[in-house]
Amino acid sequence: MNHLSRWNPRSWKRKHPASHTVDLQLEAASASGLDDLQARLNHWSRLWSAEDESSSNCEAQQLVAQRLHRWMERCFGQHVPDSLRGKGHGISLASSTPIFTAFLGRRATRELSRRVLQDV
Amino acid sequence: MPRIVRWIWTLLGFHLALGTIAFLHFVLTGEYALLTWYFWALGSLFFLIMTATECGFALVCCSWFDADEPMRLAWLMIACAALARFTGTLLRGISNPHLTWVSGHWLGWASAGLLAGLSQLGLVVGGPLSMAFLAIGLARVLRIQRRFHLIGALTRGDQALLVLIVAFTFSQIGTILPLLGSHPSAATMLLWLSDPLLSLLLIEAVLVRRSVIRMGQGLVARCWGMFVLAIATTSAGDAAIWAANHNLLPEPLNALSWFIWFVAAAAFACAPAYQLAAMSLVKEETVQSPGAN
Repeated sequence: MNHLSRWNPRSWKRKHPASHTVDLQLEAASASGLDDLQARLNHWSRLWSAEDESSSNCEAQQLVAQRLHRWMERCFGQHVPDSLRGKGHGISLASSTPIFTAFLGRRATRELSRRVLQDV
Repeated sequence: MPRIVRWIWTLLGFHLALGTIAFLHFVLTGEYALLTWYFWALGSLFFLIMTATECGFALVCCSWFDADEPMRLAWLMIACAALARFTGTLLRGISNPHLTWVSGHWLGWASAGLLAGLSQLGLVVGGPLSMAFLAIGLARVLRIQRRFHLIGALTRGDQALLVLIVAFTFSQIGTILPLLGSHPSAATMLLWLSDPLLSLLLIEAVLVRRSVIRMGQGLVARCWGMFVLAIATTSAGDAAIWAANHNLLPEPLNALSWFIWFVAAAAFACAPAYQLAAMSLVKEETVQSPGAN
């Protein structure tokens, strides 16, 4: 492919020679791993929103909430976690990420989320 | 307290200790020589260090935010305000006739008028221009704080203070308007903007203070608290100048009031240092302790 053809939209639609085998692999994986993937997604979504407290994830949710509470106290102040909790739900990544992102920036929040979710 | 903030307050303490010696010399002897030298040489150096520190830290804070994040503009404006204050101090410093190399070498080809012009430019850049940048930056911050419901309700004391500030601003505008007929210079007119801009900053400071009280004692809260302290001390310094111009302050008290500006400069430098400490805390902790927090 020469340099000019790289900018041709037709070349973007061209299928990769290996794409057929990739499809087959995905199909094979979907049969065995879909349940596992769904379980993982549910686990992370529960941790993200902390809405379903009766589930088996309760301990992990509490750990995440405790860590977020400590980070909020350190970064903003002792009253901020209470004001977030006052909106109805407990502290979760979903409720705290916007305020962290606004005042610390996206990159620092990403680092912070990694720390909060470590070993969970 | 973050290490950088401790370093700034230690430097201020050391600087004020030297100033106390110069002030005591003035009180005991009645001579201005040592006090004038202190404010002109050490004072200017202190302002340059503080404004350069503030500007550098604010730029680093700015770089932590992506281009589409609202706080990036706020920190950019704060960095511009610090840079304007730095430039203003520098311009006033080099146009000061105390500077021997200026009077010895420059005056040979540069007229005294040029030096006076530089001094006026320094006053405009370090005064109204810097305040305008800071006002834009703080307005942006207040908008973000309001979005997260961080600004608490104003107390009666706050409301009374706001009314007082607005009344003072209108009285100042009333004093200035008749002077427009005497065709003042552009620099003079720009300097007239200082008081209204400082009033605007005070109004913003009152609102930011409410958010700080609502947040608590965290690093970000302290960052904005430092801006409130800096604006409040700047206003106190401005009020002292006004009182001195109207012969309301005795001479020693007038000299003592000049020290307020150093506290304001240190508070301005501490503000981005706290923000930087909050942002770097996340990274540092990741490096220092691999275990979960």
